Amino acid sequence: MTEKEQIRRLFKEADLYRAQGLLSDSKANYMQILSIIDKSKTLANHKQLIDGVKGKIRAVDKILNELRDAPEKLELSEDLQDLIKKLFTFSQTKEAAAIEGAVALAKFGQYEQALKEFYKLLEQKVLPVVTAKNMIKCYAALKTPEAAIAQFAKWKTLDLFSTEDLKYIRAFLKTSLEKEGFKTEIPEVDTKPSLPSKVKRKKEDTFLEISAISIHLQGGPLVGQTMDFDVHFQSANTVTVLIPSGQKKLAETLVPGTRITDIQCYSPVTVFRSTGTVSGRAKIKHGPRRGDYTLDISIDAD
Amino acid sequence: MAIFNAKDRIIECKLVYYGPGRCGKTTNLEYIFKAFHKQANSEMVSINTMGDRTLFFDFLPMGLGKIRGCDVKVQLYTVPGQSRYRSTRKMVLKGVDGVIFVADSLEVRRKANLLSLKDLAENLKEQGKSIFNIPLVMQYNKRDLEQQGIPILPLETLEQDLNSKLKVPHHLASALTGEGVGSTLKEAMLLTLRHLQKELQWTK
Repeated sequence: MTEKEQIRRLFKEADLYRAQGLLSDSKANYMQILSIIDKSKTLANHKQLIDGVKGKIRAVDKILNELRDAPEKLELSEDLQDLIKKLFTFSQTKEAAAIEGAVALAKFGQYEQALKEFYKLLEQKVLPVVTAKNMIKCYAALKTPEAAIAQFAKWKTLDLFSTEDLKYIRAFLKTSLEKEGFKTEIPEVDTKPSLPSKVKRKKEDTFLEISAISIHLQGGPLVGQTMDFDVHFQSANTVTVLIPSGQKKLAETLVPGTRITDIQCYSPVTVFRSTGTVSGRAKIKHGPRRGDYTLDISIDAD
Repeated sequence: MAIFNAKDRIIECKLVYYGPGRCGKTTNLEYIFKAFHKQANSEMVSINTMGDRTLFFDFLPMGLGKIRGCDVKVQLYTVPGQSRYRSTRKMVLKGVDGVIFVADSLEVRRKANLLSLKDLAENLKEQGKSIFNIPLVMQYNKRDLEQQGIPILPLETLEQDLNSKLKVPHHLASALTGEGVGSTLKEAMLLTLRHLQKELQWTK
């Protein structure tokens, strides 16, 4: 292939990649053309050709820069926000579905609207600690540490959280802000004897969030084996995992009351070893996981 | 997650188009919307950023009519292909029943295909699903570019790279012209409905 043919081929490819939005690939081809021209002793109109290619590279770079600087998230219309809530809510219970809808908005970068939804949920006292944590995540994503701290200060004055809850929320707030690079003073929680919240609500998670567990079996037909599970649900120190129907033996081994003396717990912030007790087991009778088992394990809070 | 309403005999499932950025996932959906307009239950929703890149997802709900006495509805989604939108892809994959992996046939996109397939496997795993068990169809897109003299990967290379372990059905396609788009969707639907039949027994 002659130099001219090679350049023509590279141009054709580069232009197509550019039209397809494959900008880095397009730029690579233009650079290759420049290199060929640079080394060539036979090509006429060197300068004119080089200027032409450089012009194309500049144009590609401009789009690349615009794309790089484009906001990662857009503020969506109310209709689209409603659609997101509808499409990404899977829970059956009203409370969990409401939280899930607001979390979906946050995951799609609609932090302002998500905050509005979380405010409403907090007013209705729906899972206050979970809601508070999600609000903190939104403030952190919006890079508004002052608002997060002001909100926390307000929570301290409300009857919504126990002292233990507040300590937990404070620690979560501190970690979240630090992750975003903010090192700000956060009001301390009074260390007076812990008073339970006056508000009646479900017992809630002040336990570390656990995303997966490994159980080392020390009895039954599968003794010695280590089984890994993703945590599907967590309420305080009780986690729910799924056992596929094909692992009936395992499910039958783990009857309620069974002590598990070696559980490895994986949380987003740490991995720790613990012990626990099987507190519930049920066979799923409906839906896509029909036949599988749900297993509740209460992890000992050391 | 598929929903089966036994009383009204309606089954609704979710298919996701997955693949590297600019491989033609949205073009697939646009073609489907245009070609099967009558079956579409509403307008196609696309949330794009500049340069027509999918920012969140595309969404197209369709009714496929009655199959074995059941009203079959499908929600088609695409994920954003750009690597920086991993958390959005995870979100869109939630509750998925079947996947169409759109691979870019361009030679220069070989690595991007591999990375995207790996990303799919990881994201499915996080949901407790395996890429080896989920109904999956490969679509090798942009085959028309060969006629324009643009270097594309031979079928054997694509199969070796992406499908040697999975061994799922593959379709050659050109989403721009619509070639292979319908057959890919049809096969993905067939696999998904068969899979759901085992789980939900919706035809009984």
